[in-house]
Amino acid sequence: MTEGAPLVAMAGIVKRYGGVQACRDIDLTVQPGEVHALLGENGAGKSTLMRILSGDITDHDGRVEVDGEQQRFSGPADARAAGIAMIHQELDLVPALSVTENVFLGRELRRGGRLDRRAMAQRTAAVLARIGVALDPARPVERLRTGEQQLVVIAKALSVDARILIMDEPTSALSTSEVDRLFGVTRELRRDGVGIVYISHRMDEIARIADRATVLRNAEVVATFDPRTMTTAQVVEAMIGRPVQQVFSTPDTSSGEELLRVEDLAMRSRRLQPGRRDPDGISVTVRAGEIVGLAGLLGSGRTELLETLYGVGSPGGTTGRVVLGGTAATPHGARQALRRGIAFVPEDRRLAGLVLFHSVLANTVIASLGALGRLGFVSARREWRAAQDSAARLGIKAAAISDAVGTLSGGNQQKVVLGRVLRTQPRVLLLDEPTRGVDVGAKAEIYQLLGELAGQGLGVLLTSSELPELIGVCDRVVVLRDGRSVAEFDTEQAGEADVLAAAMGEKLAAAGGPQ
Amino acid sequence: MTATLTPAPERESDSRRSPLAWLVRFQSVLGLVVVFVGAILFSPTRDGEIIFLSGENLTNIVRAVSEIGIIAVGMTLVILVGGIDLSVGSVLSLAAVGSAVLLVEDQVPLVLAVVLVLAIGLGFGALQGMASTLLGIQAFIVTLAGLSIARGLARLWAGGQAVPIAYGSGRGEAPVAFSLLGERTFNGIVPIPALIFVAVAAGAMVFLRVSAFSRHVYAIGGNEKAARLSGVPVTRVKITVFAVCGLLAALAGIVHAGQLNQGSPNDGIGDELDVIAAVVIGGTALSGGRGTVLGTVAGALLLGVLNNILGLNSVDSNVQLVIKGLVIVAAAAVQRFAPRT
Repeated sequence: MTEGAPLVAMAGIVKRYGGVQACRDIDLTVQPGEVHALLGENGAGKSTLMRILSGDITDHDGRVEVDGEQQRFSGPADARAAGIAMIHQELDLVPALSVTENVFLGRELRRGGRLDRRAMAQRTAAVLARIGVALDPARPVERLRTGEQQLVVIAKALSVDARILIMDEPTSALSTSEVDRLFGVTRELRRDGVGIVYISHRMDEIARIADRATVLRNAEVVATFDPRTMTTAQVVEAMIGRPVQQVFSTPDTSSGEELLRVEDLAMRSRRLQPGRRDPDGISVTVRAGEIVGLAGLLGSGRTELLETLYGVGSPGGTTGRVVLGGTAATPHGARQALRRGIAFVPEDRRLAGLVLFHSVLANTVIASLGALGRLGFVSARREWRAAQDSAARLGIKAAAISDAVGTLSGGNQQKVVLGRVLRTQPRVLLLDEPTRGVDVGAKAEIYQLLGELAGQGLGVLLTSSELPELIGVCDRVVVLRDGRSVAEFDTEQAGEADVLAAAMGEKLAAAGGPQ
Repeated sequence: MTATLTPAPERESDSRRSPLAWLVRFQSVLGLVVVFVGAILFSPTRDGEIIFLSGENLTNIVRAVSEIGIIAVGMTLVILVGGIDLSVGSVLSLAAVGSAVLLVEDQVPLVLAVVLVLAIGLGFGALQGMASTLLGIQAFIVTLAGLSIARGLARLWAGGQAVPIAYGSGRGEAPVAFSLLGERTFNGIVPIPALIFVAVAAGAMVFLRVSAFSRHVYAIGGNEKAARLSGVPVTRVKITVFAVCGLLAALAGIVHAGQLNQGSPNDGIGDELDVIAAVVIGGTALSGGRGTVLGTVAGALLLGVLNNILGLNSVDSNVQLVIKGLVIVAAAAVQRFAPRT
């Protein structure tokens, strides 16, 4: 890391949203060739700060200098002209447009006044190849899975040839091998003198890639660490302002009767959907009091399995058996699943989990209205009590339960979704990436809750792209590959390497888990 | 019970309940007040008396908007689930024709005729809801087709021209009771159609407050996928909402026939636009999930007051159209400032 003139110097940055202070007097520098990690709980001000740097927010106080020259961006295009590109946490893609069209959106290549489609397709293919992604550039983005869309967003930012690159949780939906490739590209960029701001919740990634780590809390800088020497405990303490013991683990509970048994489940979609990996021979059981993890790379069919078990996968016929509480049950839609005691938390809470502009209350009770009144009527008082009860039980931090759920942090939003499904009194919980985009503190709380629920006799089947979490939290991990269950490990005996090897299909002697 | 929530740091919990936010929230009611006060100021006078404020004029306003208002209550539900119903003007006409033909030509007893006509509206709406949900066609397209179909059916049923309604007990005469729709009650003060409108709106407001169904309606409009995953019977709720809208359009058609003493297959053309305007001025988001019946009532009355005062001042009807359009744009512009998440 060079200690010469910084590439970016932000000084005294202040930004308020009404009564909410998002940044108060923040200083931040990025050197050429430096990867500067930004850490902090959701709502700590990281995203706001970076939206200021990328010209997305313009009404702020304080100075922004690039190459020693003060800048006052009037918009993202302005910042882009100064060499700044941002990979947004929200996948800002146009669903109906192709990969190429998205990559070149707003700066289409032209030749003789007409769009130069061939050149754009070639350059898109080149940048995709650079991050090692085999995607058809002509495919509409809406037909890609979330992880693939994230790779497109990364490709889009890389194609700009930026001198300053901001990555806001770029790996939240990526598989391990994709993360490795992204880091390879990041190191190349660093060698070329590009300054990188890297926002992430993943401590291991920051230790691998970052040169400096700055922690924000309550809209202020509270600590700066050297990633090579920092410990997780130090960082988490700085982020949440109090010491923590063990972050992710749940007590082992003795497991009881079998709640869910899936035998050789396969499903044939009536309509072929590119990018979907429907179950093609999956066996897994969940007992009362057990937390079972589903591991697998992107596209291994984890989401599709949970959707199929909830009865909301793509329409088509299934083979194999699903046995629920001792009786065979063909999954058929959310209502039936909820009646049978199965609840599902989808991967993307913004798209599929919540009505963001509705209140915490409305979002909490929508799945359990029948229990809050009779004959189709709902008691407003019982509704309010129920929501208040869920909010208290899950530790949802909101000024009032009448607040729009979209104003809460990611972790609190996820707790609202969990509160809602728990109000349906499920026996089996299907959770798809329940801690994605959730800050460390809320993550620990969510896992603690899952532990308690298992202790009460619920069965939990959950996916996560973060292997250490999966192994720390689950009693067993089932590994999926290409829509098949290929291995199963007891997490007492197996480690990350075993699970990863099975997920990637390496025939390692160590990966000899029971089939 | 005390609140058990921890306030989020640096968050003024009352920031979104500021006076401005409050103004925006009740913008349609306030808009109505503004237009109302403006109408008083610009009202012509007779013998020193403000004509606009006379009891007869005020009740006339409510009567004039009653048909649009009744339908707008149904349209509010449709728009809340993220749909739209363009067929309501044609369904109104179909129901008016149906009332006249059944009562006068077919000599169907009054109650049965009303029930039949309402059932036609309900069924027509339900069919549109099914076509939209089960076939996966956008509501705009389905109800655009419905607009054409209902108009065609009305003309076929009426034989191409208006069916006049005469009252009496003889052949070719409708029961006298039907003519009540054109009259006033409470010492001749309150027009019956206005009473029906107020009853429908009040019923809807109460229903939206207390029913599980209404929570489903808002959830579907807010995020259909999330609603479906939460176990909301999305298809059933949407079909029901379209059926209710068709039913209310038919009710407005019956009122229409009673007021004009005829069933004309050429009435109600363009009514869907006035209805949608009332809903939009009332603050309901066309994208769904956000809005109130109270706002819609205020929106309908606002349009009524506007028409009335422009009429009292003998403003050219074409100028009226321009002003109405500007008011719709203004209402939509104010909504841009609504507090967002």
